[in-house]
Amino acid sequence: MTLPLSLDSVTAHYGKVKVLEDLSIHVGAGELVSLLGASGCGKTTTLRLVAGFLQPTSGTIRLGDKDLTRLPAHGRDIGLVFQNYALFPHLSVQQNVGFGLKQRNLPSAEQDRRALQMLERVGLAHLAQRLPAELSGGQKQRVALARALVIEPPLLMFDEPLSNLDAKLRVDMRVEIRELQRANGTTALYVTHDQEEAFSISDRVAIMNEGRIMQLDTPETLYQRPANSFVARFVGFENLIPLTVRDRSGDVVRAEAKGGAMLTLSQQRLGAIPDGFVLATRPDGLIVSDDPTAEGLPATLGLRTYLGRAYQYRCETGTGHLVANGSLATPFKPATQVTLTPNPDQCAILAVE
Amino acid sequence: MKRFAGWMLSSPATLAVSLFLIIPVAATISATFTSSDGVFAPYTDFFSSGFQRTVLWRTFEVAAYTTIISLVVGLLTAYVVSRCPHWVKSILIILAVFPLLTGVVVRSFAWLIILGRNGILNNSLEWLGLIERPLALLYTQTSVVVAMIYIFVPLMILVLVGVLENIPEDLLDAASSLGASPTRTFVQVVLPLAVPGLIVGAVLVFTASFTSYATPHLLGGTRQMMMGTFLHQRAMVTFDWVSASTVAAIMVAVIVTTVLVMTRIARRLNPMAT
Amino acid sequence: MTTRLHPLLIVLTALVYVFLLGPLIIIFGASVSDTTFLAFPPQGLTLHWFENIWEISAFRRTIVTSFQVALLGTAFALLIGIPAAYALNRHRIQLPAWLSTLFVLPILVPEIVIGFSLLRSVNVGLDVPVFTTLLIGHTLLVTPYAIRVISASLASFDFSIEEAAISLGSHPVKTFFTIVLPNVRSGVVAAFILAFITSINDVSVSLFLTGPGISTLPIQILAHVEQFFDPTIASVSVLLMVLTIIVMIIVERTLGLTVIAK
Repeated sequence: MTLPLSLDSVTAHYGKVKVLEDLSIHVGAGELVSLLGASGCGKTTTLRLVAGFLQPTSGTIRLGDKDLTRLPAHGRDIGLVFQNYALFPHLSVQQNVGFGLKQRNLPSAEQDRRALQMLERVGLAHLAQRLPAELSGGQKQRVALARALVIEPPLLMFDEPLSNLDAKLRVDMRVEIRELQRANGTTALYVTHDQEEAFSISDRVAIMNEGRIMQLDTPETLYQRPANSFVARFVGFENLIPLTVRDRSGDVVRAEAKGGAMLTLSQQRLGAIPDGFVLATRPDGLIVSDDPTAEGLPATLGLRTYLGRAYQYRCETGTGHLVANGSLATPFKPATQVTLTPNPDQCAILAVE
Repeated sequence: MKRFAGWMLSSPATLAVSLFLIIPVAATISATFTSSDGVFAPYTDFFSSGFQRTVLWRTFEVAAYTTIISLVVGLLTAYVVSRCPHWVKSILIILAVFPLLTGVVVRSFAWLIILGRNGILNNSLEWLGLIERPLALLYTQTSVVVAMIYIFVPLMILVLVGVLENIPEDLLDAASSLGASPTRTFVQVVLPLAVPGLIVGAVLVFTASFTSYATPHLLGGTRQMMMGTFLHQRAMVTFDWVSASTVAAIMVAVIVTTVLVMTRIARRLNPMAT
Repeated sequence: MTTRLHPLLIVLTALVYVFLLGPLIIIFGASVSDTTFLAFPPQGLTLHWFENIWEISAFRRTIVTSFQVALLGTAFALLIGIPAAYALNRHRIQLPAWLSTLFVLPILVPEIVIGFSLLRSVNVGLDVPVFTTLLIGHTLLVTPYAIRVISASLASFDFSIEEAAISLGSHPVKTFFTIVLPNVRSGVVAAFILAFITSINDVSVSLFLTGPGISTLPIQILAHVEQFFDPTIASVSVLLMVLTIIVMIIVERTLGLTVIAK
């Protein structure tokens, strides 16, 4: 069973503090959407609202055609995987997995059968009689996953499920979670602060800040076409250069930066460019060259650090500090005068905010 | 020098406890085994007297009732306190600490005013026309148990609030996300996880009520003699110190046994232990 | 935020708190009643019974004794308890596990047995004066509280600070007084207060350690109740409750009342 989830203009408060403002999200049936952001951005609050542990001040939460907004948490039928696993320490692995089935008053033979079957799927049938304290972190997380899946919920939610695991296990587990979610076709809401995790696992990602969604899109779009400076910075566009268009000829635009430097940009590569705009580039998106004829931003190099695949330079330009990566083949000394030329593949156009 | 620093620093306290507790109490207990009528004579005397057996049994009964009722009342109250918003919780904790820090004499005395012949309870019942003549409420086993519960409920609440707050909120959230109603969450998750704490609270209350003096003295008098009041009577009224020592030795035996057995059970039942 | 408390449970809790506080409020009422017997609700209004406390010499005397014993006993308990707590935290490896069990014995062994045994062995056996024996009993009674509370605050003390001071040339003894002790000051205050209030309220140890002209306030209350059932006791009780409230305010100001709950 799978159902779409929608939140409509949900606002929530902790006491008097507004933690979510007019938030709307639609998660299609069988889709996996991640909520991504720093701690305090409202992602966990959103999840707790859907789970029923918090009540919104206004707005509605629907699962399929069922209005969940005023339903108590235990009546919502949502599978939830916690950051700290939240396994019942006094119950065996099998009893943990069977807990939800017991609440649904299934016959105990049926409970056992389905719990064991689910443990089989996550590869832990041999540990069914152990207590949670005897399991490793990865095994605990699998039990937590099995416990949430066995009740066959129309919606699965994950609250930072991998953040207590080590790096290698984290990658394995997220593949496993994705496979199980795909196989069951369950709608899923996934909360994380790890960008790589969110991008690798999700159909779409909502980047959140201060209780609002800054952008909700596919990972590819977010990564290449951030909608605003917050998202741009979040996905690694470290340099934000304000520019003003001075001249247009066909698709080619000539724009002036603060300090007078001129850049030539192609709308074919970058999309429509308004008269006043911000050019966002990643450090890799600024080509460092000491060729005096190159067009671009004149810069004085500052501190050089070694990244392994490139050298990174702190640069002084007429438009402020910028960060650029230069090739390992031609290292420059500090204080060298260079030109920084944007590489359109690593750039995005943003509106002035 | 450095190797003995720990010993040196702890020696004054060690010495004080050994000199003024272990030796005197050991002396009291050994005094019961030096009777000229035989090693166990004081004990055979104690247990052959119907009155003294009654005192011991009554003490058990009162302590057991007090423990069980305090446990139930304390658990339910502590559960509510632990789930309250922070500021309400602080107030409720302070309101439980206040009686706890007010002495046992003062708190037992309050029940004299309530249960006395001209006490509030009798006056109210008469005024309501439910009784014609004051009931003899004082110096009954019930009056002792009620006052004892009154004395120990605050302690139980505070112990259990500590225990319940240690149960991660996530576990309760997990239970309700899996479809458990609040009552089922309480019975299937909270209760089993609180067992070690319940045992600690039960041991504290049982041992304290078994050995109490002021409450049975004020509310039970000589009619509801308990081990504490009996010990005092033997020591200070009849000056029969061998008999008093026997009562003391039996009390120590009961307390030590209770503590040892219950800590063992608690250890076995502790779900958090690996 | 989450509402999962059954209304019946909330009603029950309210009733429990009425049960806990009602009797204490009744004492307040009875203490100002203008009757020669204990009455609630109070009939008339008088502070006569508070004056009466000072007119009865036994109360005057026992109040003084109670404070003397509580202050001295607590001071001695801290004197032996602070080094013991420090040793238990700093030198745990060289000390056997039973040592901390030894220090809870005064709580574990029934107070009434301790009192009786001190009477037998120390007061009568060694012919130690009553007041001294009483002081020994109270010191013993409150030492576990001193050790436990100070241990708890030493447990969260970072001993590398002490090592830093010593490495900078401070003598270990001086370091203890200038670095360690100031950092566990709140623990010492809490221990002092908890010990003091325990001592002031004690019945079972003091019960046996009274002599001509020497007794503590709780014992005097018990004696007075047997002879007179007048509101004097209620007003003494009110004084003791006021003392409790003052203590609670001090604790709340210094470290928060949750310390006592632990």
